[in-house]
Amino acid sequence: MTPGQTEDMGEQVDGVGRRMRALFKEMVTTVMDGRSDRAKEIVRLIEREPFTRRTWSEFSFLTIGAPLAGIGLACVTVALFAGVALAITFFGLAVMALSVRMARGFGGFNRQLARGLLDEHIEDPEPFVARPGFLGWLQSALRDRTGWRCMAYLAIKVPLATLGILVGFAAWWDAFFCLTYPVWGGAGGRAAVFGLPEVVFGPSFFSAGQYGFLHGLGVFCAGIVFFLAAPWAVRVVVYLDRRVMRVLLAPDALSARVRVLERARAQSVDSSAATLRRIERDLHDGTQAQLVALAMRLGMAREKLAAIGDADGGVSGEHGGRTELDHIRQLVDDAHRGAKEAIVELRDLARGIHPPALDVGLEGALSTLAARSTVPTELTVTLHDRPTPAIEAIAYFCVAELLANVAQHAHASHASIMCTDHGQWLRVVVRDDGTGGAELSRMGSTSSGLVGLTDRVHAVDGRLDIASPPRGPTVVTVDLPLHA
Amino acid sequence: MSSTTDDQVTDLQVTAPLRVVIAEDSAVLRDGLVQLLVDRGFVITGAVSDPESLRRSVERDRPDVAIVDIRMPPTFTDEGLRAAIDLRQQHEGLGILLFSQYIETRYAAELLAEDASGIGYLLKDRVADVSDFVEALVRVASGGTALDPEVITQLMGASRRTQSLSVLSAREKEVLSLMAEGRSNAAIAAALVISDGAVEKHVANIFTKFDLPVSQSDHRRVLAVLRFLDS
Repeated sequence: MTPGQTEDMGEQVDGVGRRMRALFKEMVTTVMDGRSDRAKEIVRLIEREPFTRRTWSEFSFLTIGAPLAGIGLACVTVALFAGVALAITFFGLAVMALSVRMARGFGGFNRQLARGLLDEHIEDPEPFVARPGFLGWLQSALRDRTGWRCMAYLAIKVPLATLGILVGFAAWWDAFFCLTYPVWGGAGGRAAVFGLPEVVFGPSFFSAGQYGFLHGLGVFCAGIVFFLAAPWAVRVVVYLDRRVMRVLLAPDALSARVRVLERARAQSVDSSAATLRRIERDLHDGTQAQLVALAMRLGMAREKLAAIGDADGGVSGEHGGRTELDHIRQLVDDAHRGAKEAIVELRDLARGIHPPALDVGLEGALSTLAARSTVPTELTVTLHDRPTPAIEAIAYFCVAELLANVAQHAHASHASIMCTDHGQWLRVVVRDDGTGGAELSRMGSTSSGLVGLTDRVHAVDGRLDIASPPRGPTVVTVDLPLHA
Repeated sequence: MSSTTDDQVTDLQVTAPLRVVIAEDSAVLRDGLVQLLVDRGFVITGAVSDPESLRRSVERDRPDVAIVDIRMPPTFTDEGLRAAIDLRQQHEGLGILLFSQYIETRYAAELLAEDASGIGYLLKDRVADVSDFVEALVRVASGGTALDPEVITQLMGASRRTQSLSVLSAREKEVLSLMAEGRSNAAIAAALVISDGAVEKHVANIFTKFDLPVSQSDHRRVLAVLRFLDS
């Protein structure tokens, strides 16, 4: 190694060391700077937090929510217990149903509050839809999942609100008193005897019975800590509340699934109704028209043949031609009759697929049914809203089947159809003054008639009730949703 | 001007051929009807497939009678009926024969609300019995009434006067049905194969039993009977 080489190496080592040192310095500075930036940020956040809108919104939510939860739970519990106590009477069930409806109301109010103050957008559950009649309402209310879930929320909300008062309120309370201590306590030499500070600054500890300037300063500093910590204490409690609300006040997964399925079902019910309607229209425009034209031409041929026969009758006595003509006449006659029968059969078939009168409305279609019935039938229709075509079709076929049944089995002299809407429900009542004693299993002009209809009614969440005491009268009530 | 020559030709005859417009959206049936009616000596002033063309055709050609399908475009519900009711108001004396695959009581009631003269309501099937159909068309064109037996069955079935109907004899019920369809005494006699006098006697009995005013005009008679059944 030459000295020159050694110098070179030394310079090289120096260079590397310098560069490494510079790099290290840079790294440290970067890390330190970054850290200090983060630290500064956190400090700024903590400083600012007591004055942000969010903090005070959350505080308001606690303040309004706590008494509300108390009142809500009190109302619901009282009603629920009264309901349970009276459950042996019918009245108890009504009280219980009422408490479920109240819980839903409180739940809804809480959701609004969360939306307004916490910016917590919880999806509204399905609105409450009662079946027609008081019994329908009772049943719907008692089976209202959303109502029961709101009740569960109210039950959890009370301990949450208590926690909120203990932690959230106390922090602000302590902060307020600690910060103002030098004014009202320090001067008078009294101890800080409240909340957490009492534990920290109580006579037994720290101050050792001395409430001097240092004590006052300590309490004041603690006040600052409380002041800065209070928003976070509130936030923790509100966070818990948010989680509970998201679970219990939002539509639950099952309800959401049910909603999706209901929508899908409504679509398929509607589309199958539309398909049936299209098939009927195609039959009407195509096959039926062609059959009528065919029958008409056969009718013309028949009359012309008859005319030929009449004209020739006196003149031609040829035996063979006569029989031939008679034979042709017979064939055309048969074809003519066959075509006419086919028209009638096809019409009945098409009417069974989709009665065209339904296109104009349920009332018109039912009036034809009532008119066609062999038992004199009175029809009353009061509808404010037109049901969807699928529902109209189900209602129509129910009435058709029930009237056929009245005509066949009831020995009735009079029947009536009443068709009304109650909110979201269509109610059709078919009544007859016959012998009664009808049962679903034995009803129906064909064995599958009414059973099949009951299936169709159930498929849209409808109901079919039969009240038929021996010696009558028979009253069949069909409830269908206005919109499938 | 074929219609002018037709008119001239018909002037020579005892009665002028009836001028008919056909509104039917099915081409097969429309062509069939044209063929049938031309064959029977009617003059077809137009064969259209929608209510709008029907209105224009009636406006232009002033036919004696219009055969109107109830279900026509655009909605295929009761366009024909609406058009018929409008035409009745605008053109006095225009006979309307409504023609449908179905008999709807409500349509019949709406159609017969004011006046039964020059009104017909038949199932499309009836065209298969050519002579009966032509007879009904002529009746409507000359201000009479032609109701489908189905309409009468529905009205009689639905009538709250079932009690009153039971006072009639079987023969009287038959006469009542035919009378309600719009047939004259002579036609009823021919249909039941009894004498005109017997029919007159039955009709008089029915009116007495129902306590209805006796009327000479056929369509007034129809209306009286329908009102009675529908009340």
